[in-house]
Amino acid sequence: MKKKVLSVLLALTMTAGLLVGCGSSTETKTDTAKEETTEETTEAPAKEETTEKKADEKTDDTASADGIAGKTFAIVVKSAGNPYNQKEAEGFQQIIEANGGTCIIKEPEAATADAQVSVIQSLISQGVDSISIAANDENALQSALQEAMDAGIKVSCLDSKVNKDSRSTFVNQAGTQEIGQALMDAVYDITGGSGQWAVLSATSQATNQNAWIDAMKSIMTEDKYKDLELVEVAYGDDEPQKSTDQTQALLSKYPELKVICAPTTVGISAAAKVLQDQKSTVKLTGLGLPSEMAEYIGDDDAHSCPYMFLWNPIELGNLGAYTAMALVQGDITGAVGDTFEAGDMANSPYTLTDAGDGGSEIILGAPFKFDPSNIAEWKDVY
Amino acid sequence: MAGKSGRTIQAVPQNSAKKMIFSWEGALVVLFIALNIFNMIISPSYNITNILREMPKYLAEIFMLFGMAYILVLGDIDISVGSIVCLSATLACVASNAGLPMVLVIAVCLLVGTACGFINGIILTRFTELPAMIVTLATQIIFRGIAEILLGSGGSVSLKDTSGFNALAMKIGPVPLVFFLVVIAAVIFTVILAKTTFGRKLYAIGSNSTAAYYAGVKVQKVRLIVFTVTGLLAGLCALFLTSALFGANTTTGQGFEMDVIAMAVFGGIATTGGKGNLVGGIISAFIIVLLRIALGQINLNPQLILVIIGALLIIAVLIPGINNAIQAKRKMKSA
Amino acid sequence: MEKKSVWKKITGSREASLVIVLIVLCIIVEILNPTFLSPTNIGQIFRNNALTMIMALGMLCILLTGGIDISITSILAFSGMSVGMLLKYDILHNTFLLFLIAAAIGLVAGGLNGLIISKGKVTPIICTMGFMYIWRGLAYVMSNSAWASGEDVAGFSDFGKDGSIGPYVLLVLVYMIFFVMMKWSKFGRKIYAVGSNAEAARISGINVDRILTSAYAIMGLLAGICGALSVAIYASAQPNMQYGKEMDVIAACVIGGVSMSGGRGTVVGTFFGALIMAIIAKALPLVGIDSIAQNTVKGVIILAVVLLNVITQRVMDKQNLERREM
Repeated sequence: MKKKVLSVLLALTMTAGLLVGCGSSTETKTDTAKEETTEETTEAPAKEETTEKKADEKTDDTASADGIAGKTFAIVVKSAGNPYNQKEAEGFQQIIEANGGTCIIKEPEAATADAQVSVIQSLISQGVDSISIAANDENALQSALQEAMDAGIKVSCLDSKVNKDSRSTFVNQAGTQEIGQALMDAVYDITGGSGQWAVLSATSQATNQNAWIDAMKSIMTEDKYKDLELVEVAYGDDEPQKSTDQTQALLSKYPELKVICAPTTVGISAAAKVLQDQKSTVKLTGLGLPSEMAEYIGDDDAHSCPYMFLWNPIELGNLGAYTAMALVQGDITGAVGDTFEAGDMANSPYTLTDAGDGGSEIILGAPFKFDPSNIAEWKDVY
Repeated sequence: MAGKSGRTIQAVPQNSAKKMIFSWEGALVVLFIALNIFNMIISPSYNITNILREMPKYLAEIFMLFGMAYILVLGDIDISVGSIVCLSATLACVASNAGLPMVLVIAVCLLVGTACGFINGIILTRFTELPAMIVTLATQIIFRGIAEILLGSGGSVSLKDTSGFNALAMKIGPVPLVFFLVVIAAVIFTVILAKTTFGRKLYAIGSNSTAAYYAGVKVQKVRLIVFTVTGLLAGLCALFLTSALFGANTTTGQGFEMDVIAMAVFGGIATTGGKGNLVGGIISAFIIVLLRIALGQINLNPQLILVIIGALLIIAVLIPGINNAIQAKRKMKSA
Repeated sequence: MEKKSVWKKITGSREASLVIVLIVLCIIVEILNPTFLSPTNIGQIFRNNALTMIMALGMLCILLTGGIDISITSILAFSGMSVGMLLKYDILHNTFLLFLIAAAIGLVAGGLNGLIISKGKVTPIICTMGFMYIWRGLAYVMSNSAWASGEDVAGFSDFGKDGSIGPYVLLVLVYMIFFVMMKWSKFGRKIYAVGSNAEAARISGINVDRILTSAYAIMGLLAGICGALSVAIYASAQPNMQYGKEMDVIAACVIGGVSMSGGRGTVVGTFFGALIMAIIAKALPLVGIDSIAQNTVKGVIILAVVLLNVITQRVMDKQNLERREM
């Protein structure tokens, strides 16, 4: 009995070995043969599906624009396991599905450009119609995204841009200058117009954070801010532990420090905890998620953060979805001056403006201020 | 020669055919075929065109498998390879942007990798008391740290002139150039490991380095060579990664060391040294890569993909253990 | 004569060289930034690095047996995330029970490592690498892209608050238990025996498999507790917490003179090793090294200390040899 089983196994592996052989050429050949047949067989049901979907759309969603039903829209976020990204993706999905499209949410394996390249390649294989991406690196995705565009996929980015050659357009959460201005004014307001302040950023390479810090620095040259002294830009790498170390270091290095500005969601909550626990007189502002920061926002001495800013990641996702649909439908091409309708969003219709890097961008709106009066209302939303 | 490392190069003659088929490599071949069928069922986009398109990035990683396999056979480990990739890629981009001709850029990239590998090797051979794990942990931080300093506050560098690297990314027919290079490298490294005196020396050292030393093997010289070559291969990986990314940043190559070690171990190369061969390693590398591609195409949560790979890894290493236990019991009974 | 032998004894011990490194490090940092040795800073050094310091003890046990565990921070993330989610969805708020649950999760995860390694004869690095992927992945899946934030863990985080003695008590307690256990308990001696020579240990009647399993289970237990502690200290549970920090823990042990091939290492040494790592983390932002260069400096210091260890060991061996020749 045993011998029989063995010999059967033997024969099986033998044939398998022969098939794969020593050369990879034979192996790939058998693969192609097999795959070609499966491709043919799978194509048919796929077509059926799309027609079904189209029929569905026509019956229950007459408002939806033509040419969206049956199309596939992908959103690629920066990293997995992050509520901000999650809300952005949900906002995107909501609009796409309401209009009858199919939505794919893709999280890269790690928060790196390498991992996003694999994700884009996979989406090209799947033959999606549109990719909206929040990039981990401005330039490293170029060849992958150009390949996608060559394959007829509409590429736009949101939240974090890629360079102008790798995108049709960029959905910007708020103008860089506007964010810099809002943060700078907050620092001015909280310090009372003079004194030392510091920045606690994410990683030293974070594109968005660097742009905002640069904007703040250039605004600071104005006469109004001449009594403010930026003592240091510290980097917490978006790790709670390192952000805590860096915040404590700032406190012991600069006893005169008045305000820390943390334009990053992980950094601001770590810093808020340090300041609040130590009952420090140093105050905090920056960009943070209301749900993360509810514990720390308040006007009195018991709370470390009087107010902070952010935009609505859900709306950012919404606008990203409308932009992707407009691109797929051909309503816009990505040229400056193009206009498109974005459902019932506040600032609709949106117009594409010059992004300052030779490409175009769409700005969602001004950053939103979270203070003790509205934090309770927003903390359950995102 | 075989006598020196008798434990690993077991007497080949009797029932060698049976052994080959029931070996780990035989099982891997079966698994490889099963996986391809499975992939075709789950993903409609799993076809040869798409695979060849998605593969170059992973293929670049496979270069390092060869070096890592040698290191593991020696009973050592190198967790700095991902950082070497980062540093080589960074310097290659800097060199290219400085206007150097492509030949020199390639030379810079490979030389940096080789130098990093050599540094690992020289520390390890001068301070033989130190485990490779801790030395390469320190150099892992240092190599990436140097890249971070070079990249400055932007944290990334992009190629101004991509033509040279575009040439590297070229395709011969539908097949990317890097595929052929990987195949050539695979053949060379497999043959060296299996058929040459140098390969035998690796097994001898991995099985019992003291015994190998007394048998006249220059243990430290061999280790130095292997670590240096691994650095060179990391440089090669960096070159092709750069041709896919058109630049480098501080996260380039992050986590590659674990990917590569997983491939090698899944292919039957033991981290304790002296065991396994590259055939298994190469098949398993393709198994892991193709599995990733297919699971990516059906949009499975990437963290779940990691869970699956982790589970496969443990199962793969458990099987021989269980098998041995069963055989030992059987022997006990018959005795 | 008497004096000389005491002197020899002090300079001869491995810990002595660590203390010297520690003092030199502190002096350098203190010169560069005089606020460094303030009581608050010293308190923060221990609090912020309590996780590494506690897990280093578990790693000590494992390195003593000749193994390694790189799944610890993934176990930490899974147990921490479990605690975070229990709090977030208002299922449980009792601090003690939450720590107990975290510890139990860790114990099971560690025990699983131990069983596979001892019974399945799997190499430790591979088994724990597999679980490194698995637990981390499950932490992500469980979180469903949500974090437990300051407000969710409000009552619980009082334990780890700045000013609360919770983390310090835990730290001291764990170190005391381990010091006694490794030095005087039967179990502690058996771990050393297994690590020095597993075959000899087996022959002398020690159940090697059981010792191995226990070592990994203890490591898991500590990692699980650290998961809860991390949530308490940072008032936040995120699936990527402490990512990659297992290497810091291993480095702390090796700096502390623990041999990676097993059998050699002490609780005191581990403590100093972990302290050196903690001081590096604390000092780098304080002394004004450009943040871009901080990682390089950290790596160079680790390498330097490790090399220094080897060199002092060589000198010691040589001295011993000379003495014998005399």
